Amino acid sequence: MLLVLSEEHKEHLAFLPKVDTTVVGEFGRIALEFLRKGTSPKIYEGAARKLCVSVEIIQHGVEGLMFLMLESSKHMLTEVDFLDSVLVLGFDEELNQILLQLYLKHHSQIRSILSHLPSNLPAYHNLEWRLDVQLASRSFRQQVIPMLTMRLILTRGCVSHSDYSSRVLQTDPSTLLYLISTLEAALAAIKTSHARRILRNIK
Amino acid sequence: MELSESVQRGLQALADASAFDQSSFQALIDASHRSLLSSHGDPAVLDQPELKQIDQILLKQIHTAATTFILEAVKQNADKSTISSSLEELTFSAERIEIFCSIYQKYKKEVEHLLASIGRRPAQINDVSWRLQYHMKNGQVDKVNEPFYSISLNSEKEGCSEDINFTCTMEQLQDLVGKLKDAAKSVEKASQM
Repeated sequence: MLLVLSEEHKEHLAFLPKVDTTVVGEFGRIALEFLRKGTSPKIYEGAARKLCVSVEIIQHGVEGLMFLMLESSKHMLTEVDFLDSVLVLGFDEELNQILLQLYLKHHSQIRSILSHLPSNLPAYHNLEWRLDVQLASRSFRQQVIPMLTMRLILTRGCVSHSDYSSRVLQTDPSTLLYLISTLEAALAAIKTSHARRILRNIK
Repeated sequence: MELSESVQRGLQALADASAFDQSSFQALIDASHRSLLSSHGDPAVLDQPELKQIDQILLKQIHTAATTFILEAVKQNADKSTISSSLEELTFSAERIEIFCSIYQKYKKEVEHLLASIGRRPAQINDVSWRLQYHMKNGQVDKVNEPFYSISLNSEKEGCSEDINFTCTMEQLQDLVGKLKDAAKSVEKASQM
């Protein structure tokens, strides 16, 4: 599959061949940094001063590069498809290779960043447990009630700046065994021929 | 067992064979146990033919005394000899002590269960449901193609139920089940000690 670049996007990237390849490399580094941590106008201003161009041009260049990396990673372009897609930009071979290396080096990380964007659902992170036996209470002085106290830790959103939430829960031994057997059935479901067939065929 | 003066007075009145015959004694002890277990204190619990001829104010005082005595006995996990000696001091006849103890034994487990359930505690997990899904693509990423589970833990706290929903990968679910199994093993070990 090939990327179809918009005219505007091409225009933004047209700045790249005008500067030194080391600058392009630096732009790539900044673009990836921004993908991980968000953009920073100060860095744009600094780069603009050094290169004696407007902040806008720098911003377009870096963000154009970010968008190129995002789209290519999103569709998981092959090496050949990537090179064919950037061909329309009319860059020289060296610059294309720099872009390709940037893509190859970072596409799995970009995909992992992207894959955390839509998951607003809390996800499992960890479970801590403790076995308690209730021995006495205000209303009942002699008792032996085994209880499993658990702390379920869930994450929400992107891993790099995760917010963890935790819930304290309790269960009695017989419910614990029931939970284990129910969840084991869930694990077994993924190994059935039905699930395997779907997993194998949808690629 | 330490009992307040009003409880002692109530129980002494209950011991009085001239005010309470055997059948009304038995009916009252039974009703007292049941009134503790009925969820919102059934107002009709004393509405019984055996208790009709008794003065209603006295009946209520005695009922209060009897339930207090029962709760205190269960709370302290009093054995039969402790209960017997306490009742003896309150002028109960041997026969009535025997009747009391047999009815008390019948309801003891249930009252224990009730008393143990009083107090604050974290939410209890009652049930779990799961769904296996295959994540193919989304707005940001193509060709994700990863199976994952949606898990819903049904919990209950102070009578309110709540579902705790989360997703996990197969590896995470294995981790979760592994930890629960470790816990189950320690429960088993602890129970053999």
